[in-house]
Amino acid sequence: MAAPANTAKEAALLRPITGVRPGLILGSLVTGALAGLLFFSWGYQIKNDIGVAGINRPVFWGFYITNFVFWIGISHAGTLISAILRVTSAEWRRPVTRCAEAITVFALTIGGLFPLIHLGRPWLFWFMIPFPNSRGLWPNFRSPLVWDMMAIGTYLTGSVLYLLLPLLPDMAILRDRAMAETPASLKARLFSFMALGWRGTTQQWHSLEAGIKVMAVIIIPVAVSVHTIVSWDFSMTLAPMWHSTIFGPYFVVGAIYSGIGVLMVAMYLLRRGLGLQEYLNDKVFNNLGLLFVAFTVIWTYFTAAEHITVWYGHEPSEMAVFWERVSGDYALVFWGMILVNTVIPLAVLSFRWGRKPFATAVVGFGVLIGMWIERFLIVVGTLRLPRMEFTVGTYSPSWVELGILVGSFGMFAMLYFLFVQFAPIVSLWEVREGDHIAGSAAASPEPVTEEAVR
Amino acid sequence: MTDPGWTHAAFAKPSDAQDALERLAEAGVAASEIEVRSSIPLGHEVCPVGPQVHSRVPLMAVLGGLMGGTIAILLVTLTSRAYPLPTGGMPIVPLPTAGVITFEGLALGAILCTVATVFFECRLPRLGVPAGPFDRMLADGSIVIAVRSDRVPSQWAAKATATAPTESQ
Amino acid sequence: MTRWGMVIDTDRCTGCGACVVACAAENNIQTVGEEEAHNGRAMHWLRIERHYEGTFPDVKVRFTPVLCQHCAAAPCEPVCPVYATYRTPEGLNAMVYSRCIGTRYCANNCPYTVRVFNWHDGEWPEPLERQLNPDVSVRPAGVMEKCTFCVQRIQDAQDLAKDDDREIGDGDVQTACAQSCPARAIVFGDLGNPASEVVRLARSERSSQLLEDLGTHPSVFYLRGGE
Repeated sequence: MAAPANTAKEAALLRPITGVRPGLILGSLVTGALAGLLFFSWGYQIKNDIGVAGINRPVFWGFYITNFVFWIGISHAGTLISAILRVTSAEWRRPVTRCAEAITVFALTIGGLFPLIHLGRPWLFWFMIPFPNSRGLWPNFRSPLVWDMMAIGTYLTGSVLYLLLPLLPDMAILRDRAMAETPASLKARLFSFMALGWRGTTQQWHSLEAGIKVMAVIIIPVAVSVHTIVSWDFSMTLAPMWHSTIFGPYFVVGAIYSGIGVLMVAMYLLRRGLGLQEYLNDKVFNNLGLLFVAFTVIWTYFTAAEHITVWYGHEPSEMAVFWERVSGDYALVFWGMILVNTVIPLAVLSFRWGRKPFATAVVGFGVLIGMWIERFLIVVGTLRLPRMEFTVGTYSPSWVELGILVGSFGMFAMLYFLFVQFAPIVSLWEVREGDHIAGSAAASPEPVTEEAVR
Repeated sequence: MTDPGWTHAAFAKPSDAQDALERLAEAGVAASEIEVRSSIPLGHEVCPVGPQVHSRVPLMAVLGGLMGGTIAILLVTLTSRAYPLPTGGMPIVPLPTAGVITFEGLALGAILCTVATVFFECRLPRLGVPAGPFDRMLADGSIVIAVRSDRVPSQWAAKATATAPTESQ
Repeated sequence: MTRWGMVIDTDRCTGCGACVVACAAENNIQTVGEEEAHNGRAMHWLRIERHYEGTFPDVKVRFTPVLCQHCAAAPCEPVCPVYATYRTPEGLNAMVYSRCIGTRYCANNCPYTVRVFNWHDGEWPEPLERQLNPDVSVRPAGVMEKCTFCVQRIQDAQDLAKDDDREIGDGDVQTACAQSCPARAIVFGDLGNPASEVVRLARSERSSQLLEDLGTHPSVFYLRGGE
């Protein structure tokens, strides 16, 4: 049994788009105001020089680079869910792919702002772009920051396209409905444009599916390379406890971990706020919770490995940073991080009762905080204690940095609120396809494998 | 010569649609005169009898990757050597750093070529196409088969939920 | 082959700070004020480190002026995305202010923490702007800076030598810090000239370098250990 689709279930999904929901509009405005705070603070900083931030010597990087690594890390949620689960043909991914891909695109957009925000002369950022010019400017391809630019540029391009490709058939569904019901409306014209003329012919489906499969395969190594390169901003230096070979895999694992955390929070809010219990059901949360626990273990393993090897080697400049975290000025934040990143997730998510939507969302929120702290400890913790002990320093953020931090979350939420009102947050056609496959498997006498059907 | 137009039929179940396609094949209608549309991919269940459709996307992805990677290598090596500035005792074009840039160039080339190929094969974007008679039913999950009106055999759409001709596509 | 270098005798250094002041005067370094200095934003290109050696009652204080070491394998150079810092053929770690976009990556990778950053524009209320050295640019906010081995004085000496059609002699170039040291603890010269004073002192058995095991190959030698 394939068509007609379960229109009652789909009505809940399409309501934010076809109707006008005051809650969503209010949410968009409030988060929009917070996003405004980001740009206001940034504008203030551009006008009054970078010195309005709290950074100094030796802590030359502070909140901005912390946020940069944090947001780029969060963007790995989409890649994991959407690409890895597609490549492994995990059926439970279907309701989750689009909201994860949206997280990726928005997190990348915001993360990509921070290298601009932290520059001393941001209006000259284009010095890093390789284009023929008469000023004798050229980027230094040996610099990890130039690799950052290439990697994040590629990942952003790939993620946007990876979000938009599977969106085409859904936009076509919205277009056909809107054209039948309200042909003159703005939304009908918007959907017509966004669908790009998609008609759903056999040839088109064949091509699109091939494209999505190939993109899924390409985007996984790109995502791994992106966060590896971001981690190399630190590990390519000689700074104590930065110059570590483990940073590449450590950061990738941490990124996916924080990404799943955000995904769980987002999914819970979508489920509650938009009434999507049938799509974002207990089974999806259960599976995500299991994946989450796996990553808790891996992240803890890497963190332990990093700290144990530093401790055993007992190199003086590294030990200064180590003790600062374990028993010194940052002990409270460090152990707090261990609590929310290791203890609580393992305690809660190891049991079936813990993998219910609300519990996983709370754990996910804790992991968000914990992973932000991890980035902060890495950036500021090391920079405070340079090799030449005479230049140790301190760091406290100014209101500008706090405003930009809060504003970045506001901007993320705003982009999400807007997205939810213009596109289905659950991939309609993929869920329909999944129901169809499940229906055929149930109806047919022989077991129908996915390969035979597809 | 005027366009004979197309006759559309909407089907609720893939098996009914496949039934209609088999009747069309029996009546000798070529695959190029039939168009099957659906809101989910049903390529294996509902396909016109005839040669399989192949997508060039995987091949183009590889070619795009090679092109992107080559451009990246050339960019890094030729430009760095043109105006060499020594930094940190490193060679002017170290292998690891050139490798990083090449990898990203490869990925970007593959991504852009993949998407371009998909758009090309799907003939997108194509705005301004008039709506078909059963688009609303299609959006709700029906399968729509269109056949050139002058080739339509009788009874092919026996199990259709609705049929309608159009003047032109 | 010219290779600029410096020798600092910490047995002679009294920690008076004249080198710091001379450097600031010569190179148009801004004064940031007490509050900013307290927050770690002082702009001195040269700092005097104070280390206590021995235990009571035989405590000694050793003063070590630390400046940019002009490393041959400088970790700060490859990380700059815009080539704002690189190694010149004469062995200087050059700083190109107009290219710097202020990522501050170079400062993070300097193991000696000798780089300073312009967090704000400098202020020279009248008539202090008259003290600015016309041979040295005034850096705007958002730009990194550090000791340049008084490259403007090196340029000047090279121009004079070229006019007179001769080579630069030992002692023709004096950095501001070397010139102002009352104890003559700082000696600057050409490490590529075997007859120069810096080479003679660098070969002394009291000679060592900072953070030698990192392999940065600095151009600054420190003398200590004598009485």
